Amino acid sequence: MHQRTRCALAALVLVPVLAGTAACSSGGGGGEASGDGDGTVTITIMGKPAATNTAAVALFERQVAAFEEANPHITIEASDVPWDAKTFATRLAGGSAPTLLRVPLTEPPALIERGQVADISDVASELDSFDDLNPRVMQFLESDGAVYGIPEKSYAFGLVYNRDLFEQAGLDPDSPPETWDEVREYAKKISDTTGKTGFGEISTNNSGGWHLTGYDYSFGGRMIEQASDGTWTAAFNDGSAHDVLEMWKAMRWEDDSLGDNVLGKQEDLVAEFTAGNVGMWVTAPPDVYPNYIAAGGDPDVFGAGPMPQGGADATLAGATVLMVSATATQAEKEAAVKWIDWRALRPNYDLEVAAETAEASAADGLPVGVPVAPIFSEEAYEAYRDAIAEYVNVPVENFAPYVGSLDAFEYVPEPAVASQEIYAALDPVVQAVLTDPNADIDALLDDAETRVNQILAQNAS
Amino acid sequence: MTMTPERLRGATSGRAAQAPVPPARTRRGGTRRQAAWAGLIFLAPTLIIFGYFAWWPIAQSVVLAFQQTNLVDPAEWVGFRNFEILFADPLLSRAALNTLWFTVLSLAIGLPVPLFCAVLMSELRRGGTLARVLAYLPVVIPPVVSVLLWKVFFSPGESGVINSLLALVGLGPLPWLQSPELAMPSLVIVATWSGAGTAILIYLAALTGVSTELYEAAELDGASVWQRIVHITLPQMRGIILVLLLLQIIGAIQVFTEPYVMTDGGPANATVTILLMIYRYAFLFGNYGVATALSVLLALVLVLVSAIYLRLTRSWSTR
Repeated sequence: MHQRTRCALAALVLVPVLAGTAACSSGGGGGEASGDGDGTVTITIMGKPAATNTAAVALFERQVAAFEEANPHITIEASDVPWDAKTFATRLAGGSAPTLLRVPLTEPPALIERGQVADISDVASELDSFDDLNPRVMQFLESDGAVYGIPEKSYAFGLVYNRDLFEQAGLDPDSPPETWDEVREYAKKISDTTGKTGFGEISTNNSGGWHLTGYDYSFGGRMIEQASDGTWTAAFNDGSAHDVLEMWKAMRWEDDSLGDNVLGKQEDLVAEFTAGNVGMWVTAPPDVYPNYIAAGGDPDVFGAGPMPQGGADATLAGATVLMVSATATQAEKEAAVKWIDWRALRPNYDLEVAAETAEASAADGLPVGVPVAPIFSEEAYEAYRDAIAEYVNVPVENFAPYVGSLDAFEYVPEPAVASQEIYAALDPVVQAVLTDPNADIDALLDDAETRVNQILAQNAS
Repeated sequence: MTMTPERLRGATSGRAAQAPVPPARTRRGGTRRQAAWAGLIFLAPTLIIFGYFAWWPIAQSVVLAFQQTNLVDPAEWVGFRNFEILFADPLLSRAALNTLWFTVLSLAIGLPVPLFCAVLMSELRRGGTLARVLAYLPVVIPPVVSVLLWKVFFSPGESGVINSLLALVGLGPLPWLQSPELAMPSLVIVATWSGAGTAILIYLAALTGVSTELYEAAELDGASVWQRIVHITLPQMRGIILVLLLLQIIGAIQVFTEPYVMTDGGPANATVTILLMIYRYAFLFGNYGVATALSVLLALVLVLVSAIYLRLTRSWSTR
């Protein structure tokens, strides 16, 4: 073949491989003041509900209009694109990252560490409700005395179950299982009698590592631990993670109660659960409920129970938090925090606004009164519940077993450093146990421990 | 390497200075110089666009392989640290082996299938156009859609589409994507299905170039269809087969959509490929430096593979 052809082929090889990543390298840029000298400011925000959820979109748009009327110098451009690490990176590089980010609680440590979010201490501390925010969540949003985010909602892991399938299997839908032994027994009964998946499990897109972490906590384990010199090491290669994996293995291969399809992510399981094909699974019940309803799920079939326990009385807790992009100007930061207060905080502490919001939501057919783990104090949450009581349209009694458990458990946060990388390293462990009947759990845990220690060492350096 | 306009100009002016030049020669040299300038002017927009959108990002990405950046602050030079992190990652060897396995499988399945289909279709007396449309149809479907469609087909359990078909002949059900052994072959089937149409069309075009006289002569000599294919069709098409084979190797090594959408590298890392690793480093862990370092390594490997391949097959292709 001729030299020229060879060069052309080399170019063919190089271009697609490199151009993709190089697109990220064009420097920071963007984010310069969008204020135009006359005091007006435009901010781009995340958190608009999905277009398919028309009722929620209508309420959101009314809130934006009211906010802009109250703050005529601020214009809001909202996006319904959910948080996605991969799009955030490229948008940041292209200068089009949103001013206000809405992210899960696993993200803030890395975003703060990488300098991708702004210090909002000065504006946040002026909020009426700032001092009342739950310190359990705020500890992840503060670093070296500076504040980088505000929680929108918090959650704790619990068991979600299908009350119909419980009845068909001869189980009491008002008494969901409380221990993992009971879960195993119930799951087998459901799959034996109904032919459906007794207990749904997920294992891709870091969800396997996420669930292993949550289950490990319920057996008293921890994923990582910090030495006195501040360094972190893997702590999961002990009895508790082993117990979790043994239980999965037994349910998958001995009981055959986990179904055939174990290689999915949370969205896949929500769809299967809404379709009535799954008896039980672990997630954050208040978070999943609106998606379940929006997808056409029957409110009366949805049940929420306590996080099943292996003896530790602990559950994984997380939150959705709001942060401001590092490229935002001072005016944009102030506008973003004002909006956070307007949309996320006020309906929780200002009882008049709470009632108005609940009334409007109920009129739109949105779920009102889903029991949650509060972002403010218990007293504030009680007052809020009283204020919205007449508009509650969620069968709250279906959540009673979950709510009753919330005070009983210790809330354990997700790993404080490199959580997503740790989850990614643990996904293959979970997948191996769920897809290979001969998986060697000890060897898998040893490998994962080495890998996670490597990640933690790289993170520290 | 092609001659740059500067080289051309230098070459012509150098020759002009060497000896007394007859008038006609000067005229010809001047014309050539003018032609070079005119060529450059016509080429300029293409060069600028190509340079800015293709070669400049490539140069930048090579630089980024030696940097650490958060895309907000200025990038920081870290020397070979990104490569060190990469080589300390035990997943790298696994991903490299998986990528190799995918490439071998996709050559074993993906090369003969379109060639066989094309030869078969060229032998069709009727319905050739319909066969071409049907063969090319999968290429028109957006990759993510077709991959998601196959994900449904590969659904495990007896109710899965493919497993239902297997049940008709008393086989299965097989855990297609849920088994570490079967997951990669399943992805190869999808990749072949979605990519074969293009190769078939190219082979069909090449087949029209095969001299009909050779077939007629062979028929007079009493050659069977199989003999005609082996002794006339395949040797006549060796150039195009060679190029498509190389393109297939390059494409297979860069496989991404199928493992990303269907398995996310699972189960138990059985389908993690090099490109999936690059993606995870860049967009999941936010470590763009390491991701680019791996991209550069992959590009080097591909250039090397291409060079070796072309050297090994040179005699065959020009015979």
